Amino acid sequence: MEEFIETFHIDWKLMIAQLFNFGIVFLAFYLLAAKPLRKLMKDRGDLISKGVNDAKVNAEILAKTSKESEQILAKARIEANKIFQDGKKEVQAKQNEMIENAKIEVASILENGKKSLQVEKTKIVEEANKEIVSVSMLATEKLMSSKKDLNNL
Amino acid sequence: MATNNLEQNIEVEPVHETTIYAEPVFHVGSFQITNSLLNSWLAVLVIIVFCLVLRKNLKQIPGKVQHIFEILLEGALSLCDQVTNDRKITLKIFPLVISLFVFILVNNWLGLLPIVGSVGFLANEAGHSVFIPIFRAGTADINTTLALSIAIVIASNIFGIITIGIWKIFNKYVNIKALGGIVTKFRKDKNVIIVAPITFFVGILELIGEMAKVASLSFRLFGNVFAGEVLLASMGAIFLYILPTPFLFLEVFIGLIQALIFSLLATVYFTIASQDHEPARSEDHSGGEHEEHESHEEKLASV
Repeated sequence: MEEFIETFHIDWKLMIAQLFNFGIVFLAFYLLAAKPLRKLMKDRGDLISKGVNDAKVNAEILAKTSKESEQILAKARIEANKIFQDGKKEVQAKQNEMIENAKIEVASILENGKKSLQVEKTKIVEEANKEIVSVSMLATEKLMSSKKDLNNL
Repeated sequence: MATNNLEQNIEVEPVHETTIYAEPVFHVGSFQITNSLLNSWLAVLVIIVFCLVLRKNLKQIPGKVQHIFEILLEGALSLCDQVTNDRKITLKIFPLVISLFVFILVNNWLGLLPIVGSVGFLANEAGHSVFIPIFRAGTADINTTLALSIAIVIASNIFGIITIGIWKIFNKYVNIKALGGIVTKFRKDKNVIIVAPITFFVGILELIGEMAKVASLSFRLFGNVFAGEVLLASMGAIFLYILPTPFLFLEVFIGLIQALIFSLLATVYFTIASQDHEPARSEDHSGGEHEEHESHEEKLASV
C-alpha cells in the first residue's frame, strides 16, 4: 500500500482540494446553469402546453359557436321564408281585392255613362224635335207669306 | 576528453519526461500545489465563467447557444433516464452527474491545450535539471480521479440510505438478516442453512465490490488520460506537429468518452444503490413472502 502511495504520490490534501474544486463546479453548474435552465425550459413547456390546451378549448368553442350560428341561420331562413310567404299571400289577397273594386268601379262608371248618354240622347231628340217643329213652322210661315205676296200681285 | 564533454552535455540537458504523478509547482506551507491542481483551478474558472455567461444570456426564446445547451441538457436527461428507468431518481442525481461530466470533460480537454505540458520551468532534482510543466491535465493525476471515485461511491451509498433505508444498505454488505433467517426460516425450509451463509458471503463480496468500483473508476480515467499524454508526447518526439495531430483528435474523443463513461457509471451506481434487491435474493425460497417479491417485481416493471 505504501509503495502504491509513493509511486502515485497520493496525497489526501490534494484529494480534498480536488473534491473542493468539484464541489465548486457542482454548485456553480447547478445554481447558475442547470437549475435556471431547467426552470426556464419547464416554464416554457408549461406555457406551450397551456397554449395548446387553450387552442383546443378555443377550437371547441369555435366549433360549438359555428354550429349554433348555423342553427340560428337555418332558423332565421325558415322564419324569413315564412314571412315572405305570408307577405306574398297578403299581397295576392290585396291585389285581388283591388282588382275586384276596380271592376266594380268600372262597371258603375260604365252604367253612369250609359245613363247620362241616354238622358243626353233624349234631350237631343227633344231639342231636335223642337227645332224641326220651329223650322217647319218658320218654313210654313214663309211659304204662307210668299203665297200672300203672289196673291197680291 | 570527448567522453567527458558528452557526459557534461547530458548532465546540462534538462530531463523532460511525463511522470506518472503530478509534479509540485510551488508550496503553500506544507501543501503542495501541483500542476494538475492548477489545471483543475483553471477548469473551475472556465466552468464558472461559462455558467455566468450562460446565466446572463438565458432567455425565454432561446438563442443559438442556449438552444444547443438545452438540446444537450435534454439529451443528458434522457440518457440518464435510460439508465435509471425512473424520472424521480434521474432528477435527484442529475445535477451531480452532469457536474461530474462537465468537470471531467473540461479537465480532460484543458489537458490537450498546447500550453499544457510545454510551458514550465526548470528545477534541480538530485543534481539533474528537470523540466516541470506548469499545467497538466487534472484527470492525469490519480489524486483527482481517486477523490472523485471515492466521493461517488460514498455518495451512492448515502443516496441508497436515503432512498431505501440504512438497514437495507447495511444488510447489503453485512447480511445479518440472512444469518438470522437460519433461525427463523429453518423449520419452513431446510435449504436456508446453506443459502444463508452464501448470502452473507455475497454481502462481503459486495463490500469488496465497492472498493473495486473505486479502483476501476479512478484507474480507468487516470489510465486513459495519462496514456493519452504519453502517446502525444511520444508522437511529438517522433515527428513534431504532424504526427501528434490525428492523435490529438483521438484524445479529444477519448476525453469525451471517458467523461461520459465516468458519469454514466456513477449514474449506474446511484441507481443500483437506490434499488432494493433484498426480496429477489433471500425470499425466493420462502413461500410466505412470495407475494411481496412479486409486488416488488411489478413495481420495477412499472418503473
